[in-house]
Amino acid sequence: MENVIEVKGLVKEYKELKAVNNLSFEVHDGEILGLLGPNGSGKSTTINCVLSLINYNKGEIKIFGKEMKPDALDLKAKIGVIFQDVAVFEELTVYDNIEYFCGLYIKDKNTRKKYVEDAIKLVGLEDYKRFVPKKLSGGLLRRLNIACGIAHKPKLIFFDEPTVAVDPQSRNNILDGIKKLRDDGATIVYTTHYMEEVEILCDRVIILDKGEILASGTTDELKTLAKIEEKITVEVNNLDEKSLEKIKELGGVAGVSYNRNQLEIIYNEGKNNIVKLMEFFDNGGIKYSKIYSERPTLNDVFLELTGKELRD
Amino acid sequence: MFLHQFKYSFKTLMKKRMLIFWTFAFPIILGSFFKVAFGNIESDEKLKVIDIAIVENQGLEENSFYRESFESLSNEKDDDRMFNTKFTTEEDAKKMLENDEITGYLIIEENEPKAVIVSSGINETVFKYVVEEISQTANIVGNLVEREIMNNGTQNYAGEMPVINQEEIIKRAMKDSDINLKDVSKANLSYTMVEFYSLIAMACLYGAMLSMSCINQNLANMCSKGKRVAIAPVSKLKIIMSSVLASFLAQLIGIFILFLYTIYVLNVDYGSNLGLVVAQAIVGSFAGLSLGTFAACVLKKSEESKTGIIITFTMVGSYLAGMMGINTKYNIDVNAPFLNKINPVAMITDGLYSLYYYDTLDRFISDIVGLLVFSGILLMISYISLRRQKYDSI
Repeated sequence: MENVIEVKGLVKEYKELKAVNNLSFEVHDGEILGLLGPNGSGKSTTINCVLSLINYNKGEIKIFGKEMKPDALDLKAKIGVIFQDVAVFEELTVYDNIEYFCGLYIKDKNTRKKYVEDAIKLVGLEDYKRFVPKKLSGGLLRRLNIACGIAHKPKLIFFDEPTVAVDPQSRNNILDGIKKLRDDGATIVYTTHYMEEVEILCDRVIILDKGEILASGTTDELKTLAKIEEKITVEVNNLDEKSLEKIKELGGVAGVSYNRNQLEIIYNEGKNNIVKLMEFFDNGGIKYSKIYSERPTLNDVFLELTGKELRD
Repeated sequence: MFLHQFKYSFKTLMKKRMLIFWTFAFPIILGSFFKVAFGNIESDEKLKVIDIAIVENQGLEENSFYRESFESLSNEKDDDRMFNTKFTTEEDAKKMLENDEITGYLIIEENEPKAVIVSSGINETVFKYVVEEISQTANIVGNLVEREIMNNGTQNYAGEMPVINQEEIIKRAMKDSDINLKDVSKANLSYTMVEFYSLIAMACLYGAMLSMSCINQNLANMCSKGKRVAIAPVSKLKIIMSSVLASFLAQLIGIFILFLYTIYVLNVDYGSNLGLVVAQAIVGSFAGLSLGTFAACVLKKSEESKTGIIITFTMVGSYLAGMMGINTKYNIDVNAPFLNKINPVAMITDGLYSLYYYDTLDRFISDIVGLLVFSGILLMISYISLRRQKYDSI
């Protein structure tokens, strides 16, 4: 598979802080690569280095096989970026904002007009074309931010935490739009600290912490690193110590915790664990209300790798 | 691409209310205030003849040029006469000054003229100004006479005293020099005019806010929009150039409106050189534009801080250029002329001033050149700063 981005040995230091430490990765053509990590893990700094917006201390960055430099205008023409902060003009309407940024890439007026309409449609802002940004809700503003970054139909798109502080409806709209862009042939780099988004969206994921890659692969590959098979949560009243000890002795149980009538059991192996657990409760005459099972998440992977939660 | 950027830069600027207020509305409001506050003073001052005295002593005898000049400026037959001059002793002059009968008196000791005044005001300033002008002219004449003696001396083989046609030399000096007492005597040194000149100068410099704001939004280290522009396939220089031109156009519109307002609504008379006055304002606006470009490109501060710096710089410059009182300008001219050579507001005011009072354009051109040098230096520093393609952090 052709590499759209190749990063080798990237190092970015701020005085004594290594914001990015010897980072190497590739982004394949047509995929959505997720950069997952907590705040301050180096995601945005990595993107800024890749885009040649900031100086870096060491490393090699190639985009579409060419070295990325500030004056590489031919490469820049193929790139779109959606920044974490909303980057639009307060004084211009929705349409004018998109038209302005699209015009930095597309010279032909008719083509530009069509592209702007396409972008408006993609993000669902058809009814807000003549609105100025301050009249838009937070979610709509984020959609405008995206439209400004993708209107010129770039082949490579960077999304830097585009759903921060966005309502669920707008978030779904944004995620659907990103999938459509990928389906239309764009390669996407998506940074976030929301593991759910990465699981829904990304073909491959790189987990970052303190400027270093902790792990990378597909979400399924990464979940194997969590060393747990299943997590079962049960709401149960007045569970005694004796019963808890018996649960720990059940097959495949790696850990048990019980707090505020909430029982959590971690399994590292075994099949039909939930059935076996229900049988245990029935046989022991233990009353329970809710019971549900979860597969390991990327947060469990992050917890396993760093000893802390993604959103700590 | 250039036109696209220009169009949107201009459109954005015109919708920034705060900017429009400071660059368009504020000078108009201030101009209206000047008219209301100083209009009456102006009409009173226009007709007033200034009472002065000249001490008759040895110094005056040796420098009869002062006597002749002041007699000419005090000619009772002349409707536009400037002074009512009394020739008297030093003691009487002092008494008259103490009793408020005269604005000041001139005394020449050891060939040094001294304008003695006890308070500051428009009349005192006019008096000091005229004494200084005569003194400068006298120096020029003196130099020419000396040169003439040297020339004639070398040509006279008979060893006779060289014949010097002093009248001819004075005529030549008056022609060569940009100091024209006739003009000074005819013109009324208008308090309000100085206010309006410094108002125009201030409006020109306020254009800095337009270019600063316009450029700021294209710089990656200043805002997210700038980051978006920085990753677009357009050269930074092209973006900045079109932004600067858009702000220049906006600035010129503002200045044009200010001129129309002051001429047709406030009835300000800019004299017979309106074209050159406008030219001076255009060059002044260019200086303002350069100041804004410098602030945007070189200062690593927020847009609000940069705006504050520009307003402070302009207000201090305007104050030093005489906006709050003509004496400030005069005192700086006398005591710290260097300040006026680096203060763009003073250069603009001075240029406009010279157009009103002098027949020749030397001083006007000198101010224009000064402003262009000021602009050139700022733009050069801005360009060097802009050449940095990447930042350490954004």
